[in-house]
Amino acid sequence: MNRFLKRLRALWRRTELDRDLADELRFHQEMLAEEMHGGGRKEFGNPTALHEACREMWAFVWIEALWQDIRHATRTLGKTPGFTIIVVLALALGIGVNTVIYTVVSSALTFNTGVKEMDRLVVINTFAMRGDPFPHSWAEYRDLRNALRSIQALAAYRPANVNWSDSTGPPERFRLMRMSANGFAVAGVKPVLGRDFTAEDEQPGAAAVVMLSYHLWQNRYGQDPSILGKTVRVDDVPRIIIGVMPSKMQFPADTELWTPLDSDLRGAAPQVILFGRLANGVSLQSARAEVDTIARRLQDKAPESYKGLIVGMQPFLNSFGLYPVRGVLIAVVCAVGFVLLIACADVANLMLARCASRAREISVRIAIGATRARIFQRLLVESILLSGSAGLLGWLVAVAGLRWFDAASINTTRPSWIDFSMNFHALAYLAMVSIGTGISFGVVPALRLAKVDVNNAVKDGGHGGVGSRSSQRLAGVLVVFEVVLCMVLLSGAGLTIRSAVNTYRAPIGVNASNVLTMQVYLPEAKYPSNENLVSFLRRLKRNLQSLPGVDAVSLVSSLPEGFVPYYPYLLEGQPRADPNHESFVAGLVVEADYFRVMQVPIRRGRVFNEFDGIGGAPAVIVNESFAAKAWPGENPLGKHFRWAPQGMPQRWLTVVGLVPDIQQNFQHPVDRAPMIYLPYAAEPQREMVLVARTTVPPSTMSEPFRRELQRLDKNLPVDRLRTLEQVIAQGRGDAAVFVTLFSVFAGVALLLAWAGLYGVVAHSVSQRTREIGVRMAVGGTAGDIVRLVFWQGMRRILIGLAIGLPLAGAVTFVLRALLVGVAPGDPLSLTGAALVLILAGLLGCAIPARRAVRVDPVVALRCD
Amino acid sequence: MGDREQSHGKLVQGTLDMLILKSLTRGRQHGYGIAQIIKQASDEVLRVEEGSLYPALHRLELDGWIDSEWGQSSNNRRAKYYRLTAVGRKQLTKEADNWRRLARAIAQVMETA
Repeated sequence: MNRFLKRLRALWRRTELDRDLADELRFHQEMLAEEMHGGGRKEFGNPTALHEACREMWAFVWIEALWQDIRHATRTLGKTPGFTIIVVLALALGIGVNTVIYTVVSSALTFNTGVKEMDRLVVINTFAMRGDPFPHSWAEYRDLRNALRSIQALAAYRPANVNWSDSTGPPERFRLMRMSANGFAVAGVKPVLGRDFTAEDEQPGAAAVVMLSYHLWQNRYGQDPSILGKTVRVDDVPRIIIGVMPSKMQFPADTELWTPLDSDLRGAAPQVILFGRLANGVSLQSARAEVDTIARRLQDKAPESYKGLIVGMQPFLNSFGLYPVRGVLIAVVCAVGFVLLIACADVANLMLARCASRAREISVRIAIGATRARIFQRLLVESILLSGSAGLLGWLVAVAGLRWFDAASINTTRPSWIDFSMNFHALAYLAMVSIGTGISFGVVPALRLAKVDVNNAVKDGGHGGVGSRSSQRLAGVLVVFEVVLCMVLLSGAGLTIRSAVNTYRAPIGVNASNVLTMQVYLPEAKYPSNENLVSFLRRLKRNLQSLPGVDAVSLVSSLPEGFVPYYPYLLEGQPRADPNHESFVAGLVVEADYFRVMQVPIRRGRVFNEFDGIGGAPAVIVNESFAAKAWPGENPLGKHFRWAPQGMPQRWLTVVGLVPDIQQNFQHPVDRAPMIYLPYAAEPQREMVLVARTTVPPSTMSEPFRRELQRLDKNLPVDRLRTLEQVIAQGRGDAAVFVTLFSVFAGVALLLAWAGLYGVVAHSVSQRTREIGVRMAVGGTAGDIVRLVFWQGMRRILIGLAIGLPLAGAVTFVLRALLVGVAPGDPLSLTGAALVLILAGLLGCAIPARRAVRVDPVVALRCD
Repeated sequence: MGDREQSHGKLVQGTLDMLILKSLTRGRQHGYGIAQIIKQASDEVLRVEEGSLYPALHRLELDGWIDSEWGQSSNNRRAKYYRLTAVGRKQLTKEADNWRRLARAIAQVMETA
């Protein structure tokens, strides 16, 4: 230790150490000289070697060597600022976008539910084909709970949105999970405050209770510990708060409240979703097998009700968070990985090109005694220095990129729980990528240079050097590789661009400007009958309509981006189809002025009036797609058909109006869906959307709308108060984000690939200056030279395209979930991408070619 | 240095350290002085070359057996003086014992065999 400290001090005072050593040896020499009268120098031997020998004892040789290498590398890189800047920029872009995407994807996929051993939690699906949980009946739940051996405990839940009101603040709308009392036990989570649900809470007649999320407790009640026992109103039913769940608990995401399952959910109709924890040591496969056996037994027992039933089991995580779209996320990660690979290939290419010019320098170093290991180390230090600075710059790119992504994705369907701040994972990843790229692009050229043939390189004056032939070949391969990756990225960008154009070009069919929308949910406790619903909404509509600045108000069951229920229909005069081959159509419930508010022209017939639907008057309005499908070439007015959920009483509906198609789904706006509209009075809904056409900017009407709603019922929350333009922007936001993302990737990739190609061609031209000079001297024309240079570059582009075209067709297949109105392998996108690459290639060759034809044979032959 | 002298002056591996330590028991001394002491004490049989003396001195200093300080030499020059440390003194006793045992053993072998 003492010894280490002494050496450390010596390291700190290196100049002092050197001076002392020199003094000490000189003193000895002088004493000797005095003794021998002038002959001392000779007797002394080699003072420099002795100095070095003593010095090495004190010094940490490797640290000094490293320090020397770093200084040397800095100097070398500083001497070629162009090279250094290009390399650092290319890598910084590559690393930066990678870190952004890594952060986004990892925060999207590694979503913490706060549930213990989440991967052991499974959902039982009635249809194995569907990823989503599908409701079961209470009886099925009971049967399965008793029969399943491979599930430790089985719980049932049903999500809902509820109105929340109390004396603390304005009413709010929250996501609630009604759950069997054992739900938290199955999830393995205990409340941080209060008690868990018990079996008594589930009994009929038990006091109504509710459990809060930590988030809600914090935000609305300021973590008030005396909250327990307080009574609040959930959908206007009084409930007692019995506990608060831990802060991390997100089960499922965005759930703010939990209540026991109400007894009215225990009927025969499928209403609950089942989840359970796999028993110890049981694999998902064996649990699936058991569920299959039980399903088959059910089918044998009651073939009528269980016909065609497939019971399946999925990990709970599969239906959670962004898991269902992980294919798309993986595509994005691959895309951005390609960008980094291209950047690395570029840098490797530049390093290779430098090999030739540095061969002589290295040879001289080896000739005067540097070991090859030392040369290798020095070159590697250079690479790591480059990638390290690129990493720092990349970090800045990443921070900026994340800010942009966060801002850009606000207007999308992105889940609220995604946290886009840079985390330690991302930083660790960034560091790893920086060092990793440094080593990966540094090793090959460093090995190559360290193996340089000293004799040849010195003789050659650094021209042929370092097996320049194989260097050129390797550089060529790298360029082809870049072109292939670039091709894939460009086609991906082309597809998303076409898809976004389709999305934005798709006509909505309504006039979206100056429309304000607001969700209203009327709880059953206060509005038990249809008459209550209708009269409240009519009153609200009247009040809103009388506000200054409001032109017309109406109601619709679901806004364009929302869920639309599909039910089977039967045309008059058509034979009843068997249940497996029924035709389905989506249906919306609208109030009288809906088409006026949306400014949709009526093609034929009339719109609904106040009396439609009352007393069973069977009026219906259909859109043109439905009319064309049901009665091609005929006038739909006066036609009859039946439409209803299965098992419900059906009435004959009479078509009274025909409207043009209105876009209901912005994610896939090209799928023009047949649609029918039912009068509000015929099918009153608890949850409706108010739509109002205003004569002033709609956002200025928000506050008056809130006031009017809560003047009528102070317990009603204001939910999703947005302009229609905002709603539409949100529906289209995904497309916009993906298009920007892929365009940025492809743009960066193109730039990098172009730089790579240009670098290789330009370098080869400069290497062949003498050859070009000879060719011109013996009568070669400028055309010959240009052809020579272009062939050098374009050959690689063409090979790259030959590999990249089919690959792009295959790889972009993973994007199909994103694409609207365009399929992977779309010829326009592929040829577009290829053309862009060819253009970039020609541009990359043109500059070196110009330089080549300007070569003066006399100068070229004399040079060096 | 002639061949004859060189063979005479060659030191058994490891003994140089001992000789340096021993020569410092008389007090602090610079490298040249140490070489002189050894030369004179051995009647000029043992000649310590600078090439082995200085690396040995620095090694001993790093090991903590000797200490160094800068001072004025008798002819008014700046010189590095070495001094025995307590650890060094202990080490010297140990090495001297070893040496004596070894020398006796070699002498015994040479006389009897």
